[in-house]
Order: sequence, then structure tokens, then C-alpha cells
Amino acid sequence: MLLELDHVSKIYGDLHAVDDLSLSVQEGEWLAIVGSSGSGKTTLMNIIGCMDTPSEGTVTLEGRELNDLNASQLADVRKNIIGLVFQKFYLVPHLTAVENVMVAQYYHSVVNEKQAMEALSNVGLAERAHHLPSQLSGGEQQRVCIARALINCPKLILADEPTGNLDEANEKIVLDLFKKLHAQGTTIVVVTHDSLVASCAQREIMLNHGVLVGERWNDEAAQQRYVDAGGEPAKTRHAENSKQSAEESSMPVGFDTITKSAKAH
Amino acid sequence: MNNSRMFMAMILGAIFRRRSRALMAVIATMVGAATLFCLAAVCIAVPQQMNEDMRPYGANLVVAAIEKQGAEKTGISDAMVAHTTSMVRAKSSAKFATYRYETVRINAAPYMLAGIESTQVRALNHHWSVQGSWPSHGAVMVGSDVASALGLNVGGNVTIAYQSSDNGGSTTSKTTQDGRVSTDILNGGGSTYRVAGIVNTGGSEDEIVYATNADVNALSGVKRGADVIEYSSSAMGTDLTAIATSINDMTSMGVKAQTVTKISSSDTKIITMLQTLFWLISVVVLALTFVGVGTTMTSIVSQRRNEIGLRKALGAPNSSIRTEFYTESVIYGLVGGGLGATIGFWLARLLCSLVFGRNIAMNWWLVGVAVVLSGIIAILATIRPVVKASRIDPAVVLSEE
Ligand SMILES: Nc1ncnc2c1ncn2[C@@H]1O[C@H](COP(=O)(O)OP(=O)(O)O)[C@@H](O)[C@H]1O
Ligand SMILES: [Mg+2]
Repeated sequence: MLLELDHVSKIYGDLHAVDDLSLSVQEGEWLAIVGSSGSGKTTLMNIIGCMDTPSEGTVTLEGRELNDLNASQLADVRKNIIGLVFQKFYLVPHLTAVENVMVAQYYHSVVNEKQAMEALSNVGLAERAHHLPSQLSGGEQQRVCIARALINCPKLILADEPTGNLDEANEKIVLDLFKKLHAQGTTIVVVTHDSLVASCAQREIMLNHGVLVGERWNDEAAQQRYVDAGGEPAKTRHAENSKQSAEESSMPVGFDTITKSAKAH
Repeated sequence: MNNSRMFMAMILGAIFRRRSRALMAVIATMVGAATLFCLAAVCIAVPQQMNEDMRPYGANLVVAAIEKQGAEKTGISDAMVAHTTSMVRAKSSAKFATYRYETVRINAAPYMLAGIESTQVRALNHHWSVQGSWPSHGAVMVGSDVASALGLNVGGNVTIAYQSSDNGGSTTSKTTQDGRVSTDILNGGGSTYRVAGIVNTGGSEDEIVYATNADVNALSGVKRGADVIEYSSSAMGTDLTAIATSINDMTSMGVKAQTVTKISSSDTKIITMLQTLFWLISVVVLALTFVGVGTTMTSIVSQRRNEIGLRKALGAPNSSIRTEFYTESVIYGLVGGGLGATIGFWLARLLCSLVFGRNIAMNWWLVGVAVVLSGIIAILATIRPVVKASRIDPAVVLSEE
């Protein structure tokens, strides 16, 4: 398994932002995390992305336990294994598109302008390379972010609502990019409100108030590979109660209902 | 494009594409540097100017012959005058004048006669007020006290007699000058000179009669060196004392050097006050600059909070973030310091030309100090903002929505 979460919780005071979640992700898998606003998706992303540490439980990435690492070692893991894509297309505002891609190279290893330009032309932005973020549309900015996330060939792409601020046309472009990446064997974990985006993934899990409330496979072949590799279903302490009902029907109760209510947000 | 070029591209992007903040940081340093530079330049210029202003008011270094007891008075020979002068001028430029003093009789009463070169003494003592003209061949200049005691007027005549007994010499050993020994002249006799001018200084000069060296040689019948050399050196303070000491150390020269204080104690107090004021204001200005730069850098850091979080999310170590901000701030400091020094210099120049009517020269040493100091202030003022920046959590990028 590329990523393993074992009884992970994140607790802010009385609030359990993520509550005792166990989850494994196989290499090459495409996982979608869905849930309404405030359900702990971003908190979970921060933990997986080595930008936050869990209050309880352990995270294992590529066989390395993250709990033992200090801030600078976490930064190393971040730049070597993970590519990040954000909802708000975070770019450095005073650097051009190609410079923004090169920033990731700079902190990773060696700046290579030719490679950065190639990455931009892969997302269809070759001729916008020397524009500042303020001169790019939202869709173009998000494609720069994706080019930047891919530049160091990460094992794992983490995307938090990557299409949340995009129109349908741009959403399609971004999804096609993800499909291409997935076909190339990159592991993708994407957080989304959008059932269309979620349905592109091989597996969906749903959170509500930090608690896992559902898991669904969209791709049986992938599920089979996962089970063959010894993968267990995601679980939460609180989910144990609903397990019976989950087993009755093949799909957990309320999955679609919650997805719809989240979309209405 | 390599990594160090990328580093510079990031810094320059931050500076030139976010001009308003950069401008604020540069202006904060510039104002501080300009104020300090101007103050320092004026503080250096004022004592120099005071010294310069004092120079026309006579000598600041007096060299006198050491007379041996009982020996013939020989004075300071021309060669020794040249030697002493070269020693004085080795340190800094100097004007000089020589004086040969003899006691003479006018109407049987003793007076002091000084043999001089008019041009030398005149160049040294711009403040002497002379009615008529300076001594020339056959014409003397008398001090105002002498003139009033003897009832002399410009254009009148005065008869001066020389007796070697007045000057501690014996008559027999004198060589003749112009075919006659002046001691032959009896009381009431002597040579008659025209009164070319009357000098009034308010000092001891008013009691002296000035004649050319040639006339004094002729009158006394003896040609000898000067008793006193007066120097007006551009050196001041310890430098001047050092010159006097170096002359006094050469005992074989047979002369004794002494400095003359021209800047009065009240002037010294003014300079001390000026310098104290300078230090006080400097501390205040430094503190203000520190606060100004620190505030600007803090606001830059908080404005770029998300960007810093993003860089960290991309794997930037804290050391990288620190280096970027220190470099940016040092650039602001150096640019601000350079501009400030330039502005400060023109301000000081304007002030000095308005007040003293003279231009001050560019002090490159001071420019260096201003620029380096600005850089150091920029670094020190950035410590706190940088600590803040390194505390920023990479998670802000994802959680701020
Ligand atoms: N740093 C924090 N301090 C306190 N509470 C937090 C913090 N970050 C997130 N939370 C809380 O945790 C819960 C989950 O937040 P989040 O993970 O951002 O949800 P989502 O991304 O699913 O909308 C929310 O109730 C939020 O208020
Ligand atoms: Mg979120």
C-alpha cells in the first residue's frame, strides 16, 4: 500500500475534525473523498499531505511512518512524494506561470526551464507561460497548479476541490488531465463536492463530521486488485454500528442523499 | 536558468512586481540614511569650517629660536626655517612668516622693531587692519599704540636708533654693514624712515614697529636669522600637537615649537554640544528607521502569508524562506542607504553652502558607512518578521477558503 491511515483522529478542543479513520490507498489508485462542508476533508488532506500531524493514530506513506518525522523531514517527504492541487489555484502572485512551475523544481532539486515549459504545454498553456497569475483565467491558473504539481513526478497527487471554482468547460479539461495522469499510473486522492468528479474515481469514501459514513467502488477490477493486495475496507469506530445496514444493501444508506445535499451547498 | 538565477528571479519578482511595499521599505531606510548622512556630514564640516575660519586670524603654531645663555644671538637660519617648514608641511598645508625682533630707540625711548617680509605676514594675518600700506624699503609700519604715543601719521617720518647694548651684544665684534657700524649713531641720531602705515590689531602688535628685514639688517649692521616663525597650519587638534612634538623632539634643531589655541573654549563647547546632539538624534533616527523597516517587513510577511505557506507546502525548508526575506530586505537596505546617502549629501551640501558659503566634498568613507549601516539595520529589523514567517504553517494554503 502506498498510503495507510491507522485509527487517525484530529481533535480541535471538543471537535473531532477527523474521527478514528482507518484507510489504505493502493499505488495507482484514484480515490475520491466526498462530504459536506466542515466534514473534515481538508483536515484529512493536510494530514495525508504531511502538512499537519494527527492527534491520534499513525499515517504511513511509502512504508515510512510520518509520526516520527520532524518539520524539515516532512517538508522533504512533501516535495519528493506529493503533488498538491488546491481549490483556490494558489500561485505565487508575483511570479509568471513558468516561474511558478519552476519554484517547485527549485525547492525539489534543480530548476529546468525546458521541463517546466513542457509541463505547461502538457496542460495546454505553452503560450501563456510568461503571464502573471492575475493575467490568467481561473481555469488557466488551475492548470498551472496541476503542471506545478506534476513537475517533480510525484507518486501521489492530492487535490482539494480542484474543480470547485471552475466552470464546466474547465472542469472537463482538469478531469481529462487527471484521467491522463491516472492512466500513466499516478495515485490520485481528490476531495470534491461534485458527484461527477467523484464518479470519475475508482473508489469514493464519504465523511460526515469527521466520521466515515460510506465507501463505494466504481471500478470492480480496481476493487479486485485492492482486495488481492490485502486491502481492507475503510472503517471508523462509529461506522461499526451501521455495518449491518451497510451489509444489507451493497451500498451504504444515505450515500447519495448526502452527496446531493453537499452539492446543493 | 539555474537555481541561483531562479533565486534572483524570485527576489526580483517579489521586489519589482510588488512595487508599493518595496518602495515603502526603501523609503523607510532612505529617510533614515539621508538624515544620518546629512547630520554626520554637517558635524564633520562645522569644526573644519571653524578651523578654516580661524586660519586668517594668525598662527596656530609658533616656532622660536632657543637662545643659548651668553652666546651671540644668531636666530633661526634660513636653512633651518626651510627645514622646519618642510616638517610642518609634511603633515598638512601651512603658511608661515618669520620675525626678527630688535630693541630700538625712538626719541630715546625703547621700542620693539620687527623685521619681516611684508607679503608673508600679510598672508598670515588677514585680520590686521592696516591704515596706509605695509613696510617697504625705507618705510615702516607702526603699531597704533606707538603711533599715538609718538604722534605719528601715515606719510610722516620717524627716526629710529639702534644700540647693540640694548640687545645684549658687544659693539666691537659687529661687522659693518653698508660701510658703517650703526652703533656709531648716538642718541638722537639714527636712520629716518617714512611711516607707510599704521597697524591696529587690538593685540600686542599695536606696540611694535615693523620694517623690512633688509632695513633692519642695515639699521643694526648685523644680518642674522629670525627669532620666531609663525605657522598657520591646516592641521588641528592632535595632528597639530604631533607636529609640535616632532619638532621639539629634534633637539639639534635649536628651536622650540608651541601650538596656539585659536578656537575658544566657548567654540569648543558649541562643537561638543553639536556632537552630543548628533549622537542623540542618530540614536532616535536609527530607532525610527528600525521600526519603519521592521513594520514594513512585517506587513510584507503577513501580506505574503499564503504565498509562504504555499512555498512550504511545495517543500521549501525554513532556511530557504529566511534567506529569501533577508536577501530582499538587504536589497531594500542597500538601495535605501545608497539613495539616502546621496540625498543626505546634497542636503548637507546645500546647508553648508547656504550657511558657510562653501561646498563640502563627497565623503566616500561616510557613504560606505551609511550603506553598510542601512544593510545591517535592514537585517536586524527583519529578524522578527522572518521568525513570524517561519512559524507559518503550510496547512494555511489548504484550510483558508
Ligand atoms: N485549525 C483548526 N482549528 C480548529 N478547528 C478547525 C481547524 N481546522 C479545521 N477545523 C474544524 O474542523 C472541521 C473540519 O474542517 P475541514 O477539514 O476544513 O472541513 P471541509 O474541508 O470538509 O470543509 C470544521 O468544523 C472546522 O471548523
Ligand atoms: Mg475543505
